[in-house]
Order: sequence, then C-alpha cells, then structure tokens
Amino acid sequence: MKKWISVLLSMIMVLSLAACGNSGDSSADSSAESGSNAESGSGESTGDGEKIVVWTLANDLKQFAERYTEETGREVEVVVFDSADYSTKIMQTLGTKSTDVDIFVGEPQMLPNFFEAGFCADLSELEEEVSTQLVDYTYEAGKDEDGVLRAVSYQATPGSVIYRCDLAEEVFGTDDPEEIGKKFSSFDTIVETAAELHDKGYTIFGDTGALRWFSNSTSPWVKDGEIIVDQDRLDYFDAAVELYQKEYVAFAPEWSAAWYASMAGPLPMNAGWDALEDVDASNPETQVFSYVMPSWGALIVRDNAADNKGKFGVCSGVCSFFGGGTFLTVSEYSEHRDAAVDFIRYCTLNDDTAQWWLEASDGDVVSSKAVLESNKDYQNPSFNNQHTYEFYAAELEKVDYSLITGYDDTCKEAFGAAIVSVQEGKQSKEDALKEFYTVVTTQYPELSIPDDAPVK
Amino acid sequence: MVICMRNLRKRDRYGALFCLPFIITFMVFNIYPVFRTLQMSLMNYKGFGKETFVGLANYARAFKDVLFWDAFVNTLKMWGVNIVLQLGLALLLTIIFNDMKYRMKGLGIFRALFYLPNLIACTSVAFLFKTLLDWKYGSINQILMKAGIINSQINWLTGEGLTAQMVVGVVGAWMWFGNSFIMLMAGVQGIDRTYFEAATIDGAGRWQIFGKITMPLLRPIMLYVAVTSLIGGLQLFDLPYLISGTEGKPGRSLYTAVFYLYTTAFKNNQMGYAAALAFVLFLIIAVFCGLAFKLMNKKEEN
Repeated sequence: MKKWISVLLSMIMVLSLAACGNSGDSSADSSAESGSNAESGSGESTGDGEKIVVWTLANDLKQFAERYTEETGREVEVVVFDSADYSTKIMQTLGTKSTDVDIFVGEPQMLPNFFEAGFCADLSELEEEVSTQLVDYTYEAGKDEDGVLRAVSYQATPGSVIYRCDLAEEVFGTDDPEEIGKKFSSFDTIVETAAELHDKGYTIFGDTGALRWFSNSTSPWVKDGEIIVDQDRLDYFDAAVELYQKEYVAFAPEWSAAWYASMAGPLPMNAGWDALEDVDASNPETQVFSYVMPSWGALIVRDNAADNKGKFGVCSGVCSFFGGGTFLTVSEYSEHRDAAVDFIRYCTLNDDTAQWWLEASDGDVVSSKAVLESNKDYQNPSFNNQHTYEFYAAELEKVDYSLITGYDDTCKEAFGAAIVSVQEGKQSKEDALKEFYTVVTTQYPELSIPDDAPVK
Repeated sequence: MVICMRNLRKRDRYGALFCLPFIITFMVFNIYPVFRTLQMSLMNYKGFGKETFVGLANYARAFKDVLFWDAFVNTLKMWGVNIVLQLGLALLLTIIFNDMKYRMKGLGIFRALFYLPNLIACTSVAFLFKTLLDWKYGSINQILMKAGIINSQINWLTGEGLTAQMVVGVVGAWMWFGNSFIMLMAGVQGIDRTYFEAATIDGAGRWQIFGKITMPLLRPIMLYVAVTSLIGGLQLFDLPYLISGTEGKPGRSLYTAVFYLYTTAFKNNQMGYAAALAFVLFLIIAVFCGLAFKLMNKKEEN
C-alpha cells in the first residue's frame, strides 16, 4: 500500500513539474514571437520602431489605432478592460512602475486619483493647442491640482434632455426644443410638466433618478470645506419625492430592461428591475416622455428606439452638465513617451481625425470646437432632423467645471439615499437630511456642516 | 558519540532548510502584511501617493465613527441570529444522531448532505436566495401565499432593514450548520461509549444523559465552534455585500464592519483609516474570544 502511495505521489510530482516545464517553454516561445513581430513591424514602419501600448475601457480607441497605423505605419496595441476593475488594474500595474503601458485612459472622476498617484506624465507641450482648440471643460478636467495638463480627451459629453417629439406635439402642441426646454428649466416646471403628461397617461421619466444629473446646478457639493445643500438641491429633493409619490414616473429605473424597452414603445407601470414578461399585465400602460443623459446616452436612446427612431429631440434641462468621457494620458513610466504623445495628438488635436470619428461613431460629440462648428448645420435624421451638434456645442459652452469636486460621488450617493428613504416614507425629510450630513461627514471628517444648513 | 552528534547537527540544519519555504512564505504573506497594516494605520494614506504620519488620529476617528459602529451593530445582529440557529440546529441533529434508542442510520449520507450548502460558492448562495426571496416573484413568498400563511408578499430583502438582516443571519446559518454539526458529531463520538452504557444501566433518561454527560464533555468542542464562528461572523462581508447588490441596502442595514472597511479603503481611498479599522476590529475580536474562553473555563472549574 505504502509503495503504491509513494508511486502515486511521485507521479503527481512528475506531472506538476512537467506542467511547469511546459508552461515555461511556451511562455518563452510566445515572448520570442511577440518580440520578432515587433521587430518586423518596426522594419516596415518609419524606422523609429516604437510600438505603443494603450489600455482603455471601450473599443473606440481600436478604431483610432487602426487608422493611425494605416496613416503613419506606426504600431499601436490597444487593450480593452472591463470597467469594473479598471481603476484597480491601473493602480496595481503602475504602482509597480511598470513600463508595459504607454497610454492609459481615465474618466473625469478617476483622473484626480491617477494624477495624485503620479502616474500621468506632464503634457504641457500640448497645452496651448488643447486650451485653444478643445472644449473648455475638457481642458480643465485634464489638469491636475497645480494646473499642469496631464490628460486630453477626443470626446465631449454634454448633457441633454432627450424627449419624444410626437408626444410633445400631442400634449403641449409643439415639439420645438426651445419650448420643451422651458418645460425642463427648473425643478418646479418639471413637476408641472410631469402633471400635464400624467393627465394624458404618460410619465415624464423612467424613474426619479433622472433628476440626479441636475444636482450640480448652482453650487458645488463642497465649498471651502463645507457641504452645500442650497435651495436648488432642496428643490431637487422635493421634486424627486413629489414625482415618486404622485406616480408621475414609470418606476422603470435607468439601465433596467423596462427602461430600455420604454424607448421603443408603451410599457406597464411599476416594472422595476424585472424582465418585461414578468411584469403584472394588469398594471396600466404608460409611455415614457423623456430621458436625462449625456450625449452618449442620446445614442443609447436612438439605438433602442426601434420604430420610434427619428421621433426623439434633444433640449436643455435645469442646468448644463457633462457625464463621463474618455481622457487619454501618457504613463509616467512609458519608455516611448514621444510616440505616445504623437498618438494622443493624433486622436485629440487633429481635426481630420475628429471629423472622421464624428462620422465613424455616428453621432459621438467630439471635443474639437472647430469640428463642432463646421457640423452645426448638420440635420440629424435620428433626432427629428434637429441640428444636434449646434445644440451640444452651445450646451458645452455653459458647462461650469468649477462645480466639480472630488466629493461629488459620495455626496450624490448619500443625497440619493436620503431621497429614497423619504420617497418610501421611511424617514421625514429632516431626518433624511440629517442622516445625509452624518454619512458624508463621517466618511470625510475634514468636511463640516455650514451654519446656514437647512437642518442641524 | 562525537560522530553521532555531528550527524544530528547536520540533520538539524537540513530540518531548518526544509522549513525555510514555509517560513519565508509565512513571513511574506502573513507577518509582513500585519505589520504593514499596523504601519499604515498610523498614516494618512490613500493607497497611492504620499504617506504622512498622523499618529493615533485614525484610531481616534474610528472610535467616534457612527457609521462604523452602526455597521458593527448590524454585524452583531446578523451574527446573533446566525449563531443561535446554526449551533441550535447542529446540536439538535447531534442529539438525534447519537440517540441510543433511535439508532439513526445513514449518518454518512446525512453528514454529506448537511455539509453541502457549505460547498456552494457564496456568490451562488447570494444569487439563489435573492431569487427565492424576491418579493414579487420569489418562490418563498408564493408558497407562503398559496399556503395561506401570509396575505400579502413580504418584502424580505428590499423592505425593512431588520428583515434583511434576519434573512442574512438565517442564510448564514443554513450555510454553516453542517460544518458545526460535523464538529459536534466528532466531539460526541470522541466521548467514551461506556459512560453512556453505564448511565443507561443505572436508569438515566435521555435528557439526563444529555445534560449530565454529553454536554459537559462536549464543552471543548462547543468552545471551538463558538470561537471560530465568532471570528468568522464578525468578519462577515461576502453574503451581505452580494445580497444587497454591493450597496448595503435597504438603508445601510446590510453594511457590516468589514463591508464598511472595504468601502473606506477601496471606494473612498482612505487606506490608512481602513487599516486602523482593521486593527480595531482585530482588538474587538480578541476581546470577545478572551471572554468566550473565560466563560467556558469558569464553568469547567465549577
């Protein structure tokens, strides 16, 4: 018996060693392979022979890279990561000062951390062009605390209210973006508009979460170390509670199956997160009138509209805002800095590229002011033949980047939770606001509650 | 003799050599992180960038942190439900399977079956119970409604905080009772059968045997089960995290101490403070364990 066991154990050992040996061999092979590839690539190219590696969150940059390689012969490898663990991946990789990455991307809310960690190279050489050619807020968002430019974006992501023109015509007698914009110009008018729509059996939004995009309308969440809840935020609070309690929304949360379905046609009320076939068929049917989203959200609405395609229009809301966007930055540890900067310049500061991308992406809003200007007469068939670029360019002018702080995510989340607890009748408004302050100040003890706060 | 000693010393050296891989791994993956965490807990550190020394400020903040203590109370509630059910059920089963009169068959099969929930990945358990307990279409509500036990659906996971906490406690008990059962069974089987036989001959009843023989002799194992479950329970994270959809909802009721620590470290980027929280939690668990030992030993002395 003992003999058999020892034979077995030694066999397992041999197997595992063999496995190690194999994997060792293959990895050696593969690295050799990629090495030779790079060599042959550099032989064909212009001779500087630098292949740059880009880490990103979406497939967009693959198309940019293909075009860049076609035009310049220089190689670019684009690696796309899932957004859930992207930040951690960057922190881990660049934390070890890895030279594997030349360019990586970040969304505006990730950038301050990346800057502070010292991962992003100084891009001051691009500053003059960026500050003059690109939309202002993208220039502001790309600068670190000391005002040094470290990230540049090819995109701009202005916010908008995306609404159904046919329903607007029916309920309000007009689908003119100016007129509809007035109906969304303040939280009070939004509630009035919702009531009008409700009378005709329509709902204004999928759910009250849509209002959160307007939570930065007049003041930043934190100013001089104090948490700001001004009248506008209280109005936002009240409007969200009223829309919920009077059932002026469809209770189909953003990103739920029902929310997507609402773009194409009627849906039962109260679908929540359920699959549509599971929703109680006896619920009354409704149609969702509008969505509040950045420009990329308008494309989501368009792509899910089915027969409603072309019936949507875009107008401004309570305030101008932006959301998301891909910023490119050169890794501090890159060994191909010049090549990387060249690629960033190509993606962001080249108007030919911007025009190409605007067409290739079929509607993405680019950051180049000149290209937005030259497309302002374009009548977008997907949006009721509206001049969408003209509209978005004007919205971008109004975005106030100074309202953005590093505390926004925490504040918005806590404020949202306070709203939900009042909506569901679990807390009074006063208690909910108190809890909001507690949640924020406990997580960030450096913040304080101002003397003129609505609750103490 | 001299040669013999030299050989022995040589063998000693070989022994040390063979231990080395473990010692190195243990140092790198166990000892170093503990000291690094201790060091970090005295720093203002985001997990990147500069570290600045702040002394005990992080600990002072931890003791005043209402959210942390709320989360800790949540943890205690969930653990309380969990431990009562888990140990109670395990003990009941142990009694049944050890009964001299019943002589239950198929212990092996039952033991495996009871242990099964523990083998399912926590992610799957969370998903399973989220589906079962869905307030509109979940099977449990439907069964209860059909059976006429309740009139309207119970909002298990998205309604009241307390209900959701109870659910997490019960699910935790369901996952772990098999484990406790195996330990208790092993403990009972370790007791000499002659005690039971002697007691039976002397005419002791089922409950007398249980109370006077089984329980006292089972105490060391009970202590072990209680302490391990306490450590595991106070570190509760995965189940509430997954069942609440990573947000601790409803309200903040499913936030546990470790859940809060996780948010602090990786969402708010306050690595230094999170390290301090980890040490506070470590101290609390140490105190609880000390108490548990003392209580159990005291009874033994009596």
